[in-house]
Amino acid sequence: MNRMDCLKELVNWIDVNDPVVTSLSSNTAIWASLREQGANFYAWNMGLTVGFSVGLSFAFPKRKVVGLDSDGSFMVDTSALITMAEANPANLMILVFDNQSYARMGPTATSRATDLEKMAQGAGIKKTATIRTLDEFTRVVKPAVGETGPHFFVVKVEAETVRLKRDPRRTSGRPMKEFFVDAVMKHPDHSGNRGGVPS
Amino acid sequence: MDPQSGQIIIETLKEEGVDMVVTLPEEPTFSLTEAIRKDSYFTSLTVAAEGNGIALCAGAALGGRKVMFVTGIAGLMVGTWALAQCSIVYGVPMLIMASYRGDIGDHSGIPGSQLLLFKQVAEPLLNTLRVPCRVVDKISDLKRTIRDANFAAHDYSSPVVLLLSGEVLW
Repeated sequence: MNRMDCLKELVNWIDVNDPVVTSLSSNTAIWASLREQGANFYAWNMGLTVGFSVGLSFAFPKRKVVGLDSDGSFMVDTSALITMAEANPANLMILVFDNQSYARMGPTATSRATDLEKMAQGAGIKKTATIRTLDEFTRVVKPAVGETGPHFFVVKVEAETVRLKRDPRRTSGRPMKEFFVDAVMKHPDHSGNRGGVPS
Repeated sequence: MDPQSGQIIIETLKEEGVDMVVTLPEEPTFSLTEAIRKDSYFTSLTVAAEGNGIALCAGAALGGRKVMFVTGIAGLMVGTWALAQCSIVYGVPMLIMASYRGDIGDHSGIPGSQLLLFKQVAEPLLNTLRVPCRVVDKISDLKRTIRDANFAAHDYSSPVVLLLSGEVLW
């Protein structure tokens, strides 16, 4: 299964107003090529995608918040699973695209004994799955978009090198953040300092 | 914790509209975070590690929430990767309150070698990470300093740290 095919499906299942967070590299390049509109925060580096997504879910309690992480980045700080389980945001969906490799630099531990889904279950996250085919992706992820979470899905994909042309202002650093904040300010749910717990 | 400090901090956070507080429990700030947790005005979350706590605050803050992270000075050192991303890479406005273990006069019983590490490294480290910080060692300065720090965090688009000494916090 290939990550692009999965994300091409996902972009049609979620609302354009559902915020999306990506980790660095392939997730950023692919997601940026698929969705220009909406609140997209790109390229969190090493271990920060899940924590940021949990926080964002408390800012948008009525929206599905989607975090797109990858195995190498995610494994830098798996304590985020405990934080996610403790915070328990009903509107959060995390997808870890697991290609079992550090780009071209060799296999990650998920190619051997490490089972990220079991780690999530051990942390206390109840709605989890490991997905291996596109049919399964559709069967599991599509309905979860409309269901109460939090969800944590490990999506096994082929190792690939993604080369897509992208605008760095929209996908990295402070210029990207400004695009994101601008999208938040224009978001239909935005009303200044909102309170709320996702339920 | 001096009850007056807790009262001032909670009152000032409410005045500033800070309604989400994230913490990793540690002894000097425990009374404060417990008081916050029991106050229904606040959304209170406990995290498992400082890095994901800072990242969580970043998500909430950029999503429009007014948020504060409460930790200890050692926790700030643990969370430096996330802090560097939030300060240098993205510029995320965020108020952080940390107990200033290791300040001169700390008789807490923590080994002196650890206290020395906190004293000698923490402030230079925050400076290196381009995270503005201020030591608060007088209760009478608390309210104004919290207000100023919260303003500065948004004005600078940066995390801003208040290091609360023993005179204020424990």
